[in-house]
Amino acid sequence: MNRTDAPRVGAPDAPAGREPLQMVSTSQATLPDTVRRLMAENHPLFIGLVVEHPTGSPPPHLQYVWMGPEARWLLVDVAMDGAVVPSITPTVFAADWAEREAEDLFGVNFAGHPQLGDFILHDEDWAERLAPMRMRPEPPAHGGGRDPYEPPRIVQAPGRFVMPVGPVFSGAQESVRFLLETVGEEIMHAHVRLFYKYRGLEKLMERQTPNRAVLVAERVNGMQAFAHGLAFAQAVEAVAAAVVPPRARALRTVLAEWERLRSHVGTLAGIVESTGLSVPANLLAAVEERLLQQSARYLGHRYLFGLVALGGLSRDPGDDALHALAEAGVEAVAAVQAVCHRLTFDNSFLDRLEAVGILPPPRAATLGLVGPVGRASGAPADVRCWHPYAAYDQHPVTPVIESEGDGYARFRVFRREVAASVDLIQRCAASLPAGPVQTPVPVVPGVGLAAVEAPSGALAYWVRIGSAGTVDRCHIMTPAFLNWHGLADAVRDFAFQDFPIIVSTLGLSVADADR
Amino acid sequence: MIALPLFFGLTLVAAAAGLSRRGRWTAPAGVAQALALLALAGTVLTHPGQEWLLWPLAGWGMLRLTFTDLGGFLLMVTAVVFLAVYLFSPGYLARYQDRYDQRPLGITLALLLGSIALILLAGDVVTFLIAWELMSVLSYITVVFDHETPENPRAAYAMLGASELGFLMVLAAWLPLVLAAHNIGFSAIAAAGPDRLTVGVRWAVFGLSFLGFGVKAGLFPAMSWLPRAHPAAPAHASAVLSGAILNLGLYGIILTNVLLLPPPSPAAGVIVLGIGVVTAFLGILYAATDTHIKRLLAHSSIENMGLVTIGIGAAMTFDGVGLPVLGLLAWIAALYQLLNHSVYKTLLFLGAGAIDQATDELNMDHLGGLARRLKWTGVFLLAGTMAIAAIPPFNGFASEWLLLQSLLRSVAMANPALETAFALAGVTVALTAGLAATAFIRFYGMTFLGRHRSDHAAQARDVTATQRIAMGLLAALALGLGIAPTYVATGLARVAASLAQSHDLAAFIPTFFQPATLPPALASAFYPLGAALGQHVLPAPGVVFMHPSTRLHAGVVFAMSPTYLALAIGIALALAFALARLLGHGRVRRGRPWLGGARTVDAGLTYTATGVARPIWVVFRAVLSPGQTVDREEVVAEHFRVSVQREDRSRYVVDRLIVDPSIRGARALAHLFARMHRGSVNAYVGYAFVALLVAMLLIRIT
Amino acid sequence: MPWFWEGLKTGVRTLRPGAVRLPSGVTPGRPTTTAVTARDRFDANICPVGALAGRDAGVAVDFDHCIHCMRCQPPKAPVHWQNDYRWAQAAAPPLPHRFQRSIHVRIVDAGDCGGCLSELRQLLGPVYSLHRYGIYVSPTPRDADVLLVVGPVTVGMRVALEETYAAMPDPKRVVAVGVCALNGGLFADSFAVMGGASRVVPVDVTVPGCPPPPLAILHALELVTGLSRETREVAES
Repeated sequence: MNRTDAPRVGAPDAPAGREPLQMVSTSQATLPDTVRRLMAENHPLFIGLVVEHPTGSPPPHLQYVWMGPEARWLLVDVAMDGAVVPSITPTVFAADWAEREAEDLFGVNFAGHPQLGDFILHDEDWAERLAPMRMRPEPPAHGGGRDPYEPPRIVQAPGRFVMPVGPVFSGAQESVRFLLETVGEEIMHAHVRLFYKYRGLEKLMERQTPNRAVLVAERVNGMQAFAHGLAFAQAVEAVAAAVVPPRARALRTVLAEWERLRSHVGTLAGIVESTGLSVPANLLAAVEERLLQQSARYLGHRYLFGLVALGGLSRDPGDDALHALAEAGVEAVAAVQAVCHRLTFDNSFLDRLEAVGILPPPRAATLGLVGPVGRASGAPADVRCWHPYAAYDQHPVTPVIESEGDGYARFRVFRREVAASVDLIQRCAASLPAGPVQTPVPVVPGVGLAAVEAPSGALAYWVRIGSAGTVDRCHIMTPAFLNWHGLADAVRDFAFQDFPIIVSTLGLSVADADR
Repeated sequence: MIALPLFFGLTLVAAAAGLSRRGRWTAPAGVAQALALLALAGTVLTHPGQEWLLWPLAGWGMLRLTFTDLGGFLLMVTAVVFLAVYLFSPGYLARYQDRYDQRPLGITLALLLGSIALILLAGDVVTFLIAWELMSVLSYITVVFDHETPENPRAAYAMLGASELGFLMVLAAWLPLVLAAHNIGFSAIAAAGPDRLTVGVRWAVFGLSFLGFGVKAGLFPAMSWLPRAHPAAPAHASAVLSGAILNLGLYGIILTNVLLLPPPSPAAGVIVLGIGVVTAFLGILYAATDTHIKRLLAHSSIENMGLVTIGIGAAMTFDGVGLPVLGLLAWIAALYQLLNHSVYKTLLFLGAGAIDQATDELNMDHLGGLARRLKWTGVFLLAGTMAIAAIPPFNGFASEWLLLQSLLRSVAMANPALETAFALAGVTVALTAGLAATAFIRFYGMTFLGRHRSDHAAQARDVTATQRIAMGLLAALALGLGIAPTYVATGLARVAASLAQSHDLAAFIPTFFQPATLPPALASAFYPLGAALGQHVLPAPGVVFMHPSTRLHAGVVFAMSPTYLALAIGIALALAFALARLLGHGRVRRGRPWLGGARTVDAGLTYTATGVARPIWVVFRAVLSPGQTVDREEVVAEHFRVSVQREDRSRYVVDRLIVDPSIRGARALAHLFARMHRGSVNAYVGYAFVALLVAMLLIRIT
Repeated sequence: MPWFWEGLKTGVRTLRPGAVRLPSGVTPGRPTTTAVTARDRFDANICPVGALAGRDAGVAVDFDHCIHCMRCQPPKAPVHWQNDYRWAQAAAPPLPHRFQRSIHVRIVDAGDCGGCLSELRQLLGPVYSLHRYGIYVSPTPRDADVLLVVGPVTVGMRVALEETYAAMPDPKRVVAVGVCALNGGLFADSFAVMGGASRVVPVDVTVPGCPPPPLAILHALELVTGLSRETREVAES
């Protein structure tokens, strides 16, 4: 059997001893049993599915990636020795979309997955069984459209119909299409049709130098640019086993939390906006804009573009700027808490969130929800605690967990994390080490895997650097890709008017999923 | 006087014409029959009180026909309904050509019209009951005509059963009357008066006759047969059932409780009112949520019968407490509502027939976009929809407004309990009107507007010219009755006067634009409304309904002029059209529909009638379907729902709460009796012993 | 009702267009063509998208391609960064005069990373309050006068963008917001990206930037309406 290299993970200066990555190689035939056994032993968090397609060494490998606590990764490696791979989705529902993506982009045939075809590449725009990620070096042009997509009709009831929403919305909203099956009033089944914005970024990054690809990574999701840049940089740093200077690690922590603060304030503003309370929504939006202005003032860019660099940060904002940032954070969190405190006494607000969009903990675990959404349903996963990166080992965080899993629980998680982030920023800013903020990263061929806790959850990059020193292959495993999967469950049996509210409480980004 | 023999002669001719090859002479003969009935109605109305003696019944008086105002009015309504139905039928029946022999239906309809006329002309109990039974059986035949559709025979049977039950109740109610008067003649019974009957018997007569005739009018609680039976008949027969035969139930109620034996107390009027309110509300609730066009119309018939009953109840109460002017107003409102219902419901049922004929589909969930295909039907049904939704200037508005006003006038009664009852009734009527508007806007929108939701709807073709004439006639009538209500009300006042104790029409339809002729108090109340301004400008006296409060010192005036409203609407529409022509640049850009950026939209992506009604369903779930929908899911690969089957096991609310428990109770009782008859001698001895013991105890106690 | 008082108590948070100084950070600034001395010579290749070009007497900046990676920000490179926000350029005349008081815009996300869309949200929000200029976001393209396109047009969004443009009545203007909508930006080479809104619909006004700050987008809308606010505003801070 053809073996592939295990990716390098984590910080190279981590304490030696336990192996941080457990790689289980299995054959296609034994895959489901292996997965079932591993899942029964421990309950890791599903992160993604990497299709390893090393140049010149067929057959390709599938690598299912899980993350466990205490800085452990679990990787199930399958060499594709036959035409059809048994699907693990019946066992691990969280792998549903990952397998669909692999089928659509790589042409991997899965047996036992009931819903394949038309996923990332929409039927209307692309030819049948295109598998563009498999094509090297150049992917195909679009065209040769198949028949328009028709969603399966799940609901069989007199007078049933489908309420289409999108892809173009009325406000400044991202493009996505919802097909809501109903007999009127309540949603009986929701189909989420993403990937209108599929930009082929993984393909685009191929053959780019990591130094340039990091710019693409930042723009996977502009709202969480720092997290994406950081995850990519950490993956490349892992390949080269580069040691990031302590100051850079502390600054990375501050900036990641600063981004979380801004992103969560925006999410809270969105939630309040969706409930129709415009005064508190505007108060929160004003805080968000103030944070954006402070980003530009102290860090140079409103969305922190260009700050992450391989081996550290591209520039040092200086201690004064960071102290000012910490102060600004305190100010912002005070304003947010004042508004949120009043909201918790507002019946018209609570009525719209409480017991709405419920994702009960067992279901959330089955769906594999990550980030604040998962934590609002009792899932403890937080990459900052499980796999401390940057300076989180020196400044540990306690995950914010609620168990109701409804819209209000998510609101509370976002709200509490805002305070926690500012707290962390203050702690870091108070004890900033001196020194350089960047170290050179040598170009070393190899595979790296790194994860960060983006504002919306666990974000992992799997990067293979080729011998030319360019990105050979990059796989982006985003929290939105995992959490969108849970939307259909969250909205089921709730009324149409709850739909935008539920969507807003999930804090989902389309761009994050439509890589 | 020739009209009477002419009509019955033509009835026989029309029945005979039904035997012609493929029934081709049915319709022309029927039209002649209906026209003769119209003439007969005219004769009846011009010669009230005239009697035709038929046959003596030894010792009990004569079998006879009597001309009455109410009978004449209903004859006229019936004639209009049948005229339209006969015009419509040839084109419509073509769709049954291959499946059924149509001759029985033609004969049945002709005889049905004859029996209806006989009921309305009957001057004695026996003639009436014979005609009534004839009518019941003939309407059963029309419902069972399309007997290949599986649920139809059962529905027809339910109707016949309900009808016979009602017949028995009527029989029981009339028996004391006939015995007391020792005469079968209605006039003799009325003349005998209530004195010879105890209050208990009078209540029994009221209760039994109201229930018995209420069955035929689809009043609460005997209403569940109606939404099953009416849609089962061919559409033109449904029109007859809803437009003509339901009226007979109300005729029976009025005949018994107003003309023959006045109710024992004003409370009877309030009971009638209450039953009307419940009936109207339940009717419209189901109409607003049903998706089958004919069932929707049948539910709406129940609602309209409820509204008329509310008017009757109000009138009986007003008359009972000595407010004859208000009684007259309520009578006019009731009769007006009845007339309007017959017109627009016939129109709508014929329209449903046209839709069925064009698309072979009556489920609104599968229709849509017919306005482009059935142009004329669409226009006429728009008129019918606006009329039944009480949107001015059509006729429904005028009568519902009058009805509401008559309920609000209850303040004159100075009796808090009655006022509260009337106020509640008024609120329900308002709610009913609102629901009716949503129900019929939904009907029109889902059927005629938007995109077609099935291939049937896409390939529809409009109906024949005569069918359009039939519908056009009724649409014109609906408009006419709506824009000239003061003339209609004046005419109705004559009929109402025979029921009410007043004919003081001027009290609420004043000669508005001749203030000089008004009492000074009225005139001063009218001036602020523009009477002084209008008197030299506006023509037509009495285009305004207006009731000054009977406690006149307050000078509160409620006025409404549908005529001028119609004029204003016409002018506004003309102005809008003219402005659009003048100011618009005249360029029309046609584009694809905006689909949210998506490429295509298929019919499955548009709202269905079920979906539109869903909010109402959710609000009134407790009435319509408490916990009676069941979802069954099919899941594959552990997590994927591949189907959700939703089954709705809702029972009609009256069946659920009243009929089913009664049937269960009766069954249980029968079962108990059956169990008692075990055949064991010991058991029988035991029963006898227990019975003896109980009897002895009873004797000791008393 | 309590929120009403809360709102009143908060007071005005909106930027006043006539303000002499805008708070710093409203715009990230942008590199501009700079004259440099010989000792400042630098490698133009620090720009990953080739927006910088070394000339004899200085650096020429092609701001239409700048993705705000900040790699040429001083002190790394001797490029002058200017803090203005008048970034938009019009290729077509403004809308007819009658649109000056009230225009309706439609926003289409044609593959945006979220940055430009967020800046648009801020523009609609309390601080920039687009509505006070009589500019509204229209719920339907049928009422829209201006189409704002953000993001490189992806293959999947091509039809949606075409449909939106086709559904708008004449006269209409299209504004390409951000460098991606302008020419595809960093995503231009992707197989799933058409590369710039002008590949699909005619673009009238462009505003570069990654992302352009809210005031720069407002500037583009000023160009569309023909309402120049030069007299009322002092921009530089």
